Amino acid sequence: MPTRSLPERSEITVIGGGIVGVTIAHELAKRGEEVTVIEKRFIGSGSTFRCGTGIRQQFNDEANVQTMKRSVELWKKYSEEYDFSFEQTGYLFLLYDDREVETFKRNIAIQNRFGVPTRLITPEEAKEIVPLLDISEVVAASWNPTDGKASPFQSTAKFAIKAEEFGAKLVEYTEVKDFIIENGEIKGLKTDRGTIKTGTVINATNAWAKLINAMAGIRTKIPIEPYKHQAVITQPIERGSIMPMVISFRYGHAYLTQTAHGGVIGGVGYELGPTYDLNPTYEFMREVSYYFTKIIPALRELLILRTWAGYYAKTPDSNPVIGKINELGDYYIAAGFSGHGFMMAPAVAEMVADLVTKGKTDLPAWWYDPYRFERGELRGQALQMG
Amino acid sequence: MRPLDLTEKDPSKRITIYFEGKPYEAYEGEKFPVAMLANGVYWLTMSTEGRKRGAFTFGPLPIKVNGVKNVNGRKLKLMDGMKIERQRYDEFQEQVKIDEGKPVLRYVVDVAVIGAGPAGLGVVEEIGGKLTVALIDERTWLGGDMWLKGVEQEGFGDPREVIEKLTDFPENVRVFLKTSALGVFDKGEYFLVPAVRNDQLIEFMAKRVVLATGAVDSIMLFENNDYPGVFRRSDALEVLNLWNVAPGRKVAVLGAFPDEITAELDRWGIDYVVVPNPKRVEGKERVERLIDENGNVYEVDAVIMADGRIPDINPVTQAGGKLRFKRGYYTPILDDEHRIRDGIYVAGSAAGIKPHYANYIEGKLVGAYILSEFGFEAEPCVYREKLGDYEPVARPRPRFQLDSFNAEDVHLCGCDVSLKKVDDVVKAGITDLQIIKRLTHLAMGFCQGRFCLFNGAQVVSQRSGLPMGRLDIPVARPPIKNVKMKVVAGRE
Ligand SMILES: Cc1cc2nc3c(=O)[nH]c(=O)nc-3n(C[C@H](O)[C@H](O)[C@H](O)COP(=O)(O)OP(=O)(O)OC[C@H]3O[C@@H](n4cnc5c(N)ncnc54)[C@H](O)[C@@H]3O)c2cc1C
Repeated sequence: MPTRSLPERSEITVIGGGIVGVTIAHELAKRGEEVTVIEKRFIGSGSTFRCGTGIRQQFNDEANVQTMKRSVELWKKYSEEYDFSFEQTGYLFLLYDDREVETFKRNIAIQNRFGVPTRLITPEEAKEIVPLLDISEVVAASWNPTDGKASPFQSTAKFAIKAEEFGAKLVEYTEVKDFIIENGEIKGLKTDRGTIKTGTVINATNAWAKLINAMAGIRTKIPIEPYKHQAVITQPIERGSIMPMVISFRYGHAYLTQTAHGGVIGGVGYELGPTYDLNPTYEFMREVSYYFTKIIPALRELLILRTWAGYYAKTPDSNPVIGKINELGDYYIAAGFSGHGFMMAPAVAEMVADLVTKGKTDLPAWWYDPYRFERGELRGQALQMG
Repeated sequence: MRPLDLTEKDPSKRITIYFEGKPYEAYEGEKFPVAMLANGVYWLTMSTEGRKRGAFTFGPLPIKVNGVKNVNGRKLKLMDGMKIERQRYDEFQEQVKIDEGKPVLRYVVDVAVIGAGPAGLGVVEEIGGKLTVALIDERTWLGGDMWLKGVEQEGFGDPREVIEKLTDFPENVRVFLKTSALGVFDKGEYFLVPAVRNDQLIEFMAKRVVLATGAVDSIMLFENNDYPGVFRRSDALEVLNLWNVAPGRKVAVLGAFPDEITAELDRWGIDYVVVPNPKRVEGKERVERLIDENGNVYEVDAVIMADGRIPDINPVTQAGGKLRFKRGYYTPILDDEHRIRDGIYVAGSAAGIKPHYANYIEGKLVGAYILSEFGFEAEPCVYREKLGDYEPVARPRPRFQLDSFNAEDVHLCGCDVSLKKVDDVVKAGITDLQIIKRLTHLAMGFCQGRFCLFNGAQVVSQRSGLPMGRLDIPVARPPIKNVKMKVVAGRE
């Protein structure tokens, strides 16, 4: 798959080979565009391969529900076409008091309006879905069976292979160092392995987006900061033991599920930063174990295989920044995905490809407007896991 | 005596245990796999994909004990009447006991030495009287690999006598056996080394850390190399010299360094044959025969892999160390004072494969550097010069005959990662070890690559033509040894 030498020129260049950059390249190449992805390490090495695998439509505002509804359609389509693991095993939010239930009722109403079949269920029904749960304090649960999970490894690799089949070039172990700009127009990019002539650039570097914006000389205020979030995985257990993503705000903002390989994966709301440090911490290992074993006691006897850290690239309203930056000709950004960039990627790719090739999109890109910070028009806080 | 006992055991400790419903003779306090081996039973557990596994190659050893699933069989000490059954790796206990757990123990010391082999003991001998030390080792004995040797060691003489002398510690040295360090974390002026002993969490705060964490035996690739009856050299040594049980009545010794075990087999009068080029082992429930590349068939009941050792790089990469490929294996990049970075030293075979005595001298050297750091008089140059006499051992590059194997039966690691799985990904055009790791789960299981990463790298290098030194090698993440969630879950 990924070619290693930098082409001399490319119509469009995507900086960043995470799920977002790779799916954008895939979508553009599929539409016949000439596109190159430049990734400083290997594809997925940023946050994508470090994510919790979750894909949900249970958001708390119309735009994100719509975006995720489209994304799930695409996850389903491509997982079938390209043969990678995507399972609609649902998201189960455990609720512990009336206040939580009220909030989720409002969210469910929004979700239902767009055809997302979320419903409120009883603790006993929740236990039928995940028999290992301790439901002694649970009063209800918000359940959408069409949410799910996918393997970040398989999916990113498959999208990369297919993108190349459509003619995209993926260049790994190459770092973008600077922009070549003449009269307000992009002429090329300088990398540590030579320069590439290009007219259109898409910043898909997520946690590093502010650095690329700085290289491009962007003055518009686009606040995206890297925060360290960590995850854990246990020894693999019998498949099907924990099908959905289980969420508990009560217990440390925990989210956990079982991967297709069998390990129990997830994290908690333990956040450090802003920082570019990615060393896993001892405190996380303790926190996550404390909360996970409250939610599912059987986890007490399971072995922790590893913990690791990645970035939540966060904006003040936890919504990403997607769109064209007008200061510079043909410069786009799709970054700042907080804890939900993996799940959104297929829809984001469609959105960005629409904007680049047609200048408009039917998806609610307006919600992710890069100028909202400058204008002081923050969105409602997007529902964030972990 | 039981079929594979080499010596008479204490009759007052004799007990009966039940495995798969059948009674077996065992001795109180004996380790489960040793008792089963003595009885000639090698197959003890099963991988998730249903492959038969024993205790002495790789992979975990989950078993059912008195109805409780997912008990670590390697650590299980036997008691009279225990009822033990096989299980698959992925079976787990759904109903569990919930208790408060044990309180966390905390120690503050000048130096935490992880690993009590000759290198760790050398460090402690050097700094012992002057600095406070926590000496941590996951095994039940002091002296590491050397304690398992029955024959004289270069520079040292009788291994047991030397170790007994070296382990006569001064008062300010605290020893923690059966204690697995989970990693090294920065805490300002200190390093935090959390560890587990018998399901209890221990937190060491230390100003300096020495990784004297040793090496692991190389796993050889051949068909059914994961089969019950295949032994790592170190496990064969342990059953022989610690438990006085034979790995088999007739064994085959494989690999480039047969001498590392044959002298020990001679000592016990065990019949062996040296086979340099294994292709396949076969048998019903354990090894019954070995077939080599030339088609020769050897009727044996065990095989021992003696293909050299490689540094265990996991503690090094977790602690922030970088690697280079030299002499045929990955070793930590060290500064002039044997540090991977400020405050963290490496000594012994973790830094490069050499004789026990050289590891001990390297420990003394690191001890001397630490003494100077704390303002004591020390003469590192003396040890440095001595150490100069020992060039670390080069390991010949294994050239696996990949295409002559039935790749499905060759296992890179215990977690059902077969050569075929890796090869299929490589053949699909993916040659980046980092991606191959994630698509096959190589180095993502119980050992986090301690045993399997090297062979994975070797296969990728051989298939892709990229030199070993240019591969992007994944780093280990905490915990560097598996720990049960309940052990770290407690909250004060
Ligand atoms: C612990 C954790 C759990 C998570 N769980 C989930 C979840 O369950 N569901 C979900 O949807 N999301 C989850 N996320 C968030 C998700 O991982 C991210 O939002 C998503 O991966 C972002 O993808 P990306 O392609 O934008 O960024 P990345 O994957 O980070 O890709 C950006 C790439 O840009 C490259 N790059 C940076 N600078 C340069 C340069 N100068 N030149 C070239 N390349 C450069 C980087 O190397 C990197 O590979 C989680 C995140 C973490 C940390």
